[in-house]
Amino acid sequence: MKTIFRAVCAFVLTVAGLTVSAQQQGVTADNILIGAFGPITGPAAYIGLAGRDGMNLAIKEINAAGGINGRKLSAAFEDDAHSPTRGLAAAKKLIEQDKVFMLMSVGGSNATAGTIDYVRDSKLIMYVSIASVPQVTWPFAKNMFRGGTTESARYGELYAEFLSTHFKTKKIGIMSGREEYPRNEGDATVTKLKDWFGIAPVARVEFNIGDKDFTPQLVQVQKVSPDVIAFLGNPAEAAIAMRQAKELGMKQPFFVGSNMVDPALVLAARTSAEGVTGFSLIPLLPGSKNPEMVKWQESWKKEYPSAPAGRPNNFDVMAYADMYVVADAMKRAGKDLTTDSMITSLEATKDFSVGAIATKRTFSTKHHIGNLSLVPMIVQNGAWEPVSWSSSRQSDILSRY
Amino acid sequence: MKISPATLFGVVAVGAFAIAGSFMGSYPIYLLSLAMINVISALGLNLLTGNSGQISLCHSSFMALGAYVSSLLTLVFGMPFWVAIPCAVLIAACLGTLLSLPTRRLRGIYLALATLGFLQLVQITLEEMADLTGGVRGLKVPQPTIFDGQPLNYYSIYLVVLAVCGLSILVTRNLLASRIGRELNAVRTSPHASQALGVSVDRVKLIAFALAAGYAGLAGGLLAVVVGFIDPNEFGVSAALKQITFIVVGGLGSVMGSVLGATVLSALPELLRPVKEYSDVIYALILLGFLIFVPRGLAAALERFALSPIRKRVWRRKSL
Amino acid sequence: MTITLAFQLAIAGVSVGSIYALVALAIVIPFKSSGVLNFAQGEVVTFGAYAALVLTQLALPYPVVVLGVVVLGGVGGIVAERLLIRPIVQAPEFTLVMATFAIGLLIKGLISLKFGDSAASLDSPFDPEPLIALGLRFNLTSLWILACTTFVTLSVIGFFKYTKMGKAMRAVSVNAEASRLMGIRVSSVYRWAWGISTAIGALSGLLVAPLIGINPEIGHLILRGLLAAVIGGFTSIAGAVFGGIAVGLIETFSGVLIGSTFKNLVPFLLLMLLLFFRPHGLFGTAEAKRV
Repeated sequence: MKTIFRAVCAFVLTVAGLTVSAQQQGVTADNILIGAFGPITGPAAYIGLAGRDGMNLAIKEINAAGGINGRKLSAAFEDDAHSPTRGLAAAKKLIEQDKVFMLMSVGGSNATAGTIDYVRDSKLIMYVSIASVPQVTWPFAKNMFRGGTTESARYGELYAEFLSTHFKTKKIGIMSGREEYPRNEGDATVTKLKDWFGIAPVARVEFNIGDKDFTPQLVQVQKVSPDVIAFLGNPAEAAIAMRQAKELGMKQPFFVGSNMVDPALVLAARTSAEGVTGFSLIPLLPGSKNPEMVKWQESWKKEYPSAPAGRPNNFDVMAYADMYVVADAMKRAGKDLTTDSMITSLEATKDFSVGAIATKRTFSTKHHIGNLSLVPMIVQNGAWEPVSWSSSRQSDILSRY
Repeated sequence: MKISPATLFGVVAVGAFAIAGSFMGSYPIYLLSLAMINVISALGLNLLTGNSGQISLCHSSFMALGAYVSSLLTLVFGMPFWVAIPCAVLIAACLGTLLSLPTRRLRGIYLALATLGFLQLVQITLEEMADLTGGVRGLKVPQPTIFDGQPLNYYSIYLVVLAVCGLSILVTRNLLASRIGRELNAVRTSPHASQALGVSVDRVKLIAFALAAGYAGLAGGLLAVVVGFIDPNEFGVSAALKQITFIVVGGLGSVMGSVLGATVLSALPELLRPVKEYSDVIYALILLGFLIFVPRGLAAALERFALSPIRKRVWRRKSL
Repeated sequence: MTITLAFQLAIAGVSVGSIYALVALAIVIPFKSSGVLNFAQGEVVTFGAYAALVLTQLALPYPVVVLGVVVLGGVGGIVAERLLIRPIVQAPEFTLVMATFAIGLLIKGLISLKFGDSAASLDSPFDPEPLIALGLRFNLTSLWILACTTFVTLSVIGFFKYTKMGKAMRAVSVNAEASRLMGIRVSSVYRWAWGISTAIGALSGLLVAPLIGINPEIGHLILRGLLAAVIGGFTSIAGAVFGGIAVGLIETFSGVLIGSTFKNLVPFLLLMLLLFFRPHGLFGTAEAKRV
């Protein structure tokens, strides 16, 4: 009996953990520690690994250039395995154990969604680079910011406008995958087609992410002969679908969702990708001949010489650019870096971009949507090139704030 | 009233965990809560697979049912979680009963595939009824409240999970020691002998399935409340297979097996955080290691190398 | 639905079905002889696809790549059997199945680490332009897959019927103890069974890669393979192949007739109905229950 009691006491004392401190954490005299999370295992690992690498490249450059107001920048990274349960664990660990100054999410929407309530209550800043989950920016929370990715609704606005005006048609077919991102895009596009142009898609079919055969869906779409087919899913599926469409004798051009405007699509689809259009979140894609992108890719390859094929990808670029946005705000916040001074500084960000490889970021005290622009592109001779088209409509989104 | 050393140990342990929890931050508490939820789920699956010998690949689907039904009951009808979760448990148990009616005649791989079919059914339903369940976008779970809308903080939720887990362990232990427990094991060992001895094999298998579904529903309902956000992916094939690894590594058929397996394998992914992107490979290696070197489960190994010698020593002293 | 459309769908269904058939074959063979369900079979397919990728990138001609993938797959299976399965073959059934699951996780994890998750692709050795005959489009790659599947199936059936090792395998699947007493080296039989099944699995990875691309997740095919195996009855070779084609056809047709929402549901609903009313599939033999 005594042994059991002693064992239990020992256990209790051993297990007693740390409590959350109330002072500004993560900032010391010579270091700023940020916490980042994203999927580095599982099917979405290409997002998190790229996000982490892009972010770390930026951090290395920033430190080499002297750091931030005399402090070095460092990042702790945790895996969220693309799951809300693990995402919340990652956020808690970073905030409570690693005691980071702020969080940066380079993960997907569902995993980030799991962390939102907790982070909002913690009052620490979270800057979301890649996830498009709506709750980051609506309802408005002083400590949550969205960077590179734009709002789901914005995709709908631009897609709808492009599909109807660039292709000059009312007959639009939509194929979308059953996952948060493609579904959001699909729904938003359909809504805006109706609200702004009075068009209903002639076909709206769905498929499962991971499907290997799209014949049933393509056959349905073929029946109504749209003038353009919008495909919203992942590069692997788009590649299969576009090839099968060709085999079925379908001649319509494809328009793909912005997560597919990526060298990976051309790599997977090869010749079937010619002529495909889509919107890009970044003005220049890896693989572009533009000298700024070439220079950036070289410094990336120097840092990560043994990375697999297909890297760097868009997420590398986005996380890199967003890290600079955050660092710039930190610089402007000055030596007395606290959560409040950082929020004020971020909100003062206006048209900031690290270079031609990034879109501009603007925040305000009313909304924390950093980016509302997407760049239209087309696949020509095996590479993504910009299309000369620009939107002529105002976004409806900001009217909410 | 005689209290066995094991029960006393259990009560003290629960008390210790409760007190220790007040010193911990929300991260360790979150991990402990998740581990205990897995223990509850493993207890149920072990009754079904370890004791009554029915393999099930849809255990995570009953967790999904528990999670979604209880969350929706709160969202739509305003039921507080301590009413919504028991309701969800009952509904899960009913569905388990229904599923068992045709599947209790199946064995081995056929049963496994029938349960896999059910899992797909549930997954697709969750994804398709997006207006209700949020579909693949997931569902935000309302914060648990008591009495007049006072929200519970993470420590209080932890205490609830702790209490439920402790009770589940107690109930399962008593169940296994009772007639039902013996019937479960008999049905697995020899259905024909059991039948000959007057045990209704069909009925026992049904009870096992209903119980397992209920436990899983309970675990799912608690999971929804602890995490605050659920999506169908949390309850898919990988999750179902992970549940099975808990009981295989821990030890089939014993309460200790469920507790050990669930705790160790829940802690493992978090412990593997330092190895970052290698954690999947290391996890697989460790799992393989457990299976090759401790094929009968951790509980059996613990029994052989630790508890049995202790018991022998105590027994010898007592008899002198 | 027009006749042309029906035929076109049938072609698509049979091509995707023949992949499922190969996976089902790879599952049934070791199950039939050693009673072990290899949950890592999906990852064997993935391995085959990546092996093909690596070999192709070494600029080896296609026939060499095919041979290389088959040999690598077979050898890998034999090594895995010796190192990982043999030590636990006496363990409870669940432990064994979970061990194959863990091996699958390991393979998938290693492949993810080495190659990343970006989509990769393999060119088919054939022209992507479809062959047009009788007003229908035939995908050459799919025809090649069908040809390979037929060849493999016939070879396997021939193997079991006419070769010494094949007969030994059949004997062991009926009664391992008695076979041992008759002088058959059971360990050798197991090794062959695993080697053959992983070779077939790897081959299907090579064949399917041009159709569906290469990424670490293609192991999900195992679910369809399991389905096919059950439809065919778990102990029949011809049944596995038939089951695979059937699943492919059901999937394709239900996708068009019912809508893609429930396309994935139909095979499993059918599976459950089949299990409830005819658990031994269409070709399997009902186990005689000894009381």
